[in-house]
Amino acid sequence: MNRKMEEKRSWDWHTELTEIAFEEWKTRFNWVQAPRVSMDGERIAAVVNLDEMAFTVCVNGDVWEGEYEKVWSLTPVSENGFAAFAARDEEWTMNVNGTEWSNWCDFIWNMMVSPDGTRLGAAFQTDSEYGVIVDDVPWEDRYENMTGAVMAPDGTSAAVVQVESMAAADVDAFKKGVFCVARNGKAMDRRFLNIWDISFDADARNIACGVRTDRETYGIVQNNSVWDNRFESVWKPAFLDADTLLAPVRSGGKWHLYKNDAPFWANAYDQLWHLTISPDGSQVAAIVSSPFGRWTVAVNDRVWQQSWDTMVADIHFSADGSCLAAVYKHKEFWDLAVDETPWHMAADMVFVPRISKDGSVVAVVVEKQGQYQLVVNKRVVASGYRFMAEPVISPDGTKVMLKGIENGIYKRKIIGL
Amino acid sequence: MQSQDNTMTDPSNETKQAEKAKQKATDPAIEAGLERLTPERIKKTINQVLEKETGPRFKAYVETCMRCGLCAEACSYFLSNDRDPRFMPAAKVKNTIWEMLVKKGEVSRDFLREAVRISHLECNVCKRCAMYCPFGIDIAYMMLLVRRICHKLEITPQYIQDTVNSHSVTLNQMWVKDDEWIDTLQWQEEDAREEFEDLQIPLDKMGADIMYSVIAPEPKFQAGLIYQTAAMMHAAGIDWTMPSTPGWDNSNMAMYTGDNEISGRIAKAFFETAAKLRVKRIVMGECGHAFRSVYDMGNRWNSWVMPPFEVVHALAFYHELLTEGRITIAEKYKKKVTLHDPCNVSRGRGLHDKAREVVNMVCEDFVDMVPNREHNFCCGAGGGVINCGPPYKGERMVNNRNKAEQLAATGAEVLIAPCHNCHSGLEDIIQHYDLKMEIKFLGDLMYETMEKKIYKPGA
Ligand code: SF4
Ligand code: SF4
Ligand code: SF4
Repeated sequence: MNRKMEEKRSWDWHTELTEIAFEEWKTRFNWVQAPRVSMDGERIAAVVNLDEMAFTVCVNGDVWEGEYEKVWSLTPVSENGFAAFAARDEEWTMNVNGTEWSNWCDFIWNMMVSPDGTRLGAAFQTDSEYGVIVDDVPWEDRYENMTGAVMAPDGTSAAVVQVESMAAADVDAFKKGVFCVARNGKAMDRRFLNIWDISFDADARNIACGVRTDRETYGIVQNNSVWDNRFESVWKPAFLDADTLLAPVRSGGKWHLYKNDAPFWANAYDQLWHLTISPDGSQVAAIVSSPFGRWTVAVNDRVWQQSWDTMVADIHFSADGSCLAAVYKHKEFWDLAVDETPWHMAADMVFVPRISKDGSVVAVVVEKQGQYQLVVNKRVVASGYRFMAEPVISPDGTKVMLKGIENGIYKRKIIGL
Repeated sequence: MQSQDNTMTDPSNETKQAEKAKQKATDPAIEAGLERLTPERIKKTINQVLEKETGPRFKAYVETCMRCGLCAEACSYFLSNDRDPRFMPAAKVKNTIWEMLVKKGEVSRDFLREAVRISHLECNVCKRCAMYCPFGIDIAYMMLLVRRICHKLEITPQYIQDTVNSHSVTLNQMWVKDDEWIDTLQWQEEDAREEFEDLQIPLDKMGADIMYSVIAPEPKFQAGLIYQTAAMMHAAGIDWTMPSTPGWDNSNMAMYTGDNEISGRIAKAFFETAAKLRVKRIVMGECGHAFRSVYDMGNRWNSWVMPPFEVVHALAFYHELLTEGRITIAEKYKKKVTLHDPCNVSRGRGLHDKAREVVNMVCEDFVDMVPNREHNFCCGAGGGVINCGPPYKGERMVNNRNKAEQLAATGAEVLIAPCHNCHSGLEDIIQHYDLKMEIKFLGDLMYETMEKKIYKPGA
């Protein structure tokens, strides 16, 4: 069992209701920013203002020790905790549960949290040089420009960096290619006009990305080589396993799925993106459009029967790959479809669904007329909340944890299914 | 309609100099690009675009045009250049794509040099001519096709190409770095707290009602506009957010160079940012072409027939704030104002009446320019023209004479231009023709006249 599951199992699944007076904080502070809820639901936190240019984070009513000029990007991390970027004397650092990192910089952004919440990374800039910092260890090499920083579950980091200066509007220099992938700070050899969407395999030993090799030629990079085939465009590639790379590519005005530099799926689509591989590696899915203007999902190149007129925002597999949920918008309304079956909720918004390991339970927060509801397997189990964080399904799939604010009170509710 | 004699003289007598400059203006990107071309590449590229990337629309246009010249009167370039026939919309087609078609792509470098100029600098793809053509022929579409060919041949003018390069790397048009963007928002937020103690520019707020998006010149040069919007959002009690991640810039110059692939990538990032933040609608600042990108061109390349989120232009948003009483005007603006209808939001989206209603709610003394609404003359800067950069400013001023006359005739002290490109282009015109007008965004006036108090529902 992985760490995340173990941790989840250790959470309190018995106390039916825990309440924390949240709105009341407004009487203690000048103002309280948007709430965030810890992974286990036991804590609610917000950036709060104490005085002019004096901010901190309030967690369950207790404030972090430090006071800062600015605090932003408050994010739940492991151990019921929170991390945020914080500035003092115009210098920035990461603050994790009230404890500052030892490294300070001129700016810090792009909070990256590993799926189990234990590793933390960010992009930083100091003296106009850019790099990535992971768990308080910054890259040794810095660059004049950096985009698209990513972090693998094990803390391996990478970003697109500029390795040669360009004068203003120097289109010639650009044409020669001045960008590289830097992995853990070390720039790789090949330079490209553009590099997008760096992806790692599960162990972060292999790396891939989409590139542009000249004005209208796009390619896929797999470790140190570029696929031989060239395309009209490409989207984010994904590793099926360490040796197998998949990528959506465009040719002849249509989108195709390629595997290790050769056609993989037989069908061509008007769009094909958000390539999503089930955690067990058994299923490959993508958001597709076909015919033009209709949106749906393809799983192993088989297209769902249903399609929608506006968009499919994201798709999510259960851990065992048996269940796939899609958040979509159709005729002005948001909805969820689970394994091809629409839930017909006609919501104003549908947030990211949570799915039990075996795919039998799907829980999602939706918003209707300004009120949040929790819907589990199509059944509304709670409504009338002004805010809800994403729910958690118990490891055995028999309970759902609601995390929401109702009448100014934060509630952690365990709901039996 | 426009009178036929163009009487305005160039006060700084720069016309002749500009003419000279025009002859001399060489663009290193165009010249280097032409140098690299072989007849085979030219032919192959043109035929590929004409055969693979055009549909029945193109064939119909080419076959239907009667060369009647009715469209000529519509075009600011024609009117500004003493009715020189080479500026007739139909002539622009004749001298570019028509010739490429007839010669099956066997055209010279000199021909292409001229085609770049016509399509990028002598047409701002405003679509005004299409309204006057009995067949509705869309010359702008054909000029964009020429630009597409130029893009593939790598002979796009330098400055606009650099803008597209920036889009491709940073997803914004001005090489604004990720940290600079966020820092600017935080700085505006801090400044605005002088006025509203608890004002926030909420970054990445999941589930907010509105994502507010701007174009890169705002953080780069006009951060005060973000301040003003933040003040309005705060006072109006709007649940809003701005993204800290790329995807915040709604502009799209790639759409204007024919780099459809980068254009699509920009539109994807934009809408996916809204989807990731789970907002209900997107409000965008005062920009015309960005509206066209997200409403028409960028979305379609991605297979979105319509934009996946409701995109509300600032004009319509101000209208909403005022009519819902979320913002009230303390005292109307006194000076005599006129309004420039940006073609992309007016001709393209029909927002001209709403715009007038807002102006009348905010200003005491409004005078329309003639022609107006969807018939308005273009600013002469849009469609990527101003983005071709300083080398072409002189000739742009010549090509805008007609607009200068239209502005002067209003007698207004203040010109409202609710579009960034229009704003910059019109500012140049005002200076060049010494028009003694101030230029403002509608947001400037909204902010200046609004009551600085917080909206309370039902109050
Ligand atoms: S689109 Fe506008 S600028 Fe271009 S030819 Fe027509 S009227 Fe003239
Ligand atoms: S008005 Fe229409 S048909 Fe006549 S010349 Fe112009 S484009 Fe051709
Ligand atoms: S910049 Fe403004 S008026 Fe000018 S072409 Fe664009 S939208 Fe039209």
